[in-house]
Amino acid sequence: MKLTGTYRLAAPPARVFAALVDPDVLQRCIEGAERLVRTADDQYDVHLRLGIGTVKGAYVGTVRLTDQQPPDRFTLHVEGKGAPGFVRGSARIQLTAAGAGTVAICDADGQVGGVVSAVGSRLLDATARMLMDRFFERLGAEVR
Amino acid sequence: MFAAPFDYARPKTLDEALSLLSKHGDEARLLAGGHSLIPAMKLRLAQPRLVVDIGRLDGLRQIEARDGRLAIGAMVTHAEIAASRTLADLCPLLVEVASAIGDLQVRNKGTIGGSLVHADPAGDWPAAILALDAEIEIAGPQGRRTVTAGAFFTGILETAVKPGEILCEIRVTAAAASAYVKTEQKASGFALCGVAAVVDATARRVRVGITGVAPVPYRAAAVERALEGQALAEGSLAAAAGQAAAGVTPLADIHASADYRAHLARVNTARALQRAASR
Repeated sequence: MKLTGTYRLAAPPARVFAALVDPDVLQRCIEGAERLVRTADDQYDVHLRLGIGTVKGAYVGTVRLTDQQPPDRFTLHVEGKGAPGFVRGSARIQLTAAGAGTVAICDADGQVGGVVSAVGSRLLDATARMLMDRFFERLGAEVR
Repeated sequence: MFAAPFDYARPKTLDEALSLLSKHGDEARLLAGGHSLIPAMKLRLAQPRLVVDIGRLDGLRQIEARDGRLAIGAMVTHAEIAASRTLADLCPLLVEVASAIGDLQVRNKGTIGGSLVHADPAGDWPAAILALDAEIEIAGPQGRRTVTAGAFFTGILETAVKPGEILCEIRVTAAAASAYVKTEQKASGFALCGVAAVVDATARRVRVGITGVAPVPYRAAAVERALEGQALAEGSLAAAAGQAAAGVTPLADIHASADYRAHLARVNTARALQRAASR
């Protein structure tokens, strides 16, 4: 599954970058993230409690940041596993100054497996997009 | 496929059901017709500790004509709507949509309230509810509140009904000139694109609700604006229908690409408007 999104944020790239690599901000922006615990430099254990309609589940996983080139880009890797299935993916995030704000381009590539992908394939792409849109919507509110 | 163990409660009153929900929080799930929840439980995608069966509650199973409006209880099944004389006379769109849902088993057990709360983006009811500009009554611990159809669907499988609340009733105004045109996914019967149109020739106004195309069902606002105050001739209906997917990012999956869904939205909107205008 590949997803691309472009988002406008009302803060300069340096500020957006700082927010994106801040675990507290990530925890508030990732839908359902209850806890982000630092386990190494740029690596965190994440506890997610995510309910999309009938499908409610607790997921445990890791978030890792690589290829950091502040304030322009970095890559966010996510791996998670729970009763409904597993997710594994990475997102390249590119920040470009645009006036007083930032344009963020997010290029994500992920795999979803387990029961949820077998029966929920019809809604997976759209759900992933919804979660990505919400992430950037919340990020926009954080840096405003 | 067996569900994980769960407790079962069958309250007799709405208050009892609401207090069970407030006591058990997100460990509890409401059971209406069970055609979305039970399969999810068998696959263990949903593992509620408590299932609250609202099948025997009084006051959620009636279809009533009241003050020039129609009130449909949340637990009325699709089949009951499809067979309703009252609705056939006053609001045939609901009958047409109910008849187009899934298969006989789904129509016999599934309910309008359960389907709306589940909010599958390819479900049939959203198109009709939007085109009829329905009001949806929701009961909660703080009493009752009413939400308009336009504010009801908030995301994929998400609605304005909050945890601890119960959808009670759907209210619509009688509308004669209406139609539902659906292109369905052959195996499931779900809508690749379903368009419900209501035409008011006197007021020269139309309302168009579209399901299956976008992550959240929507009113085709550009189509409605283009026809506002216009004589509803075949040519103008067809031209306006060209705007049916304007500003929308369509869903894409193995069954239909985004472009194909947008195309279906335009074609089905033209057909639904023409059929509604001829009634």
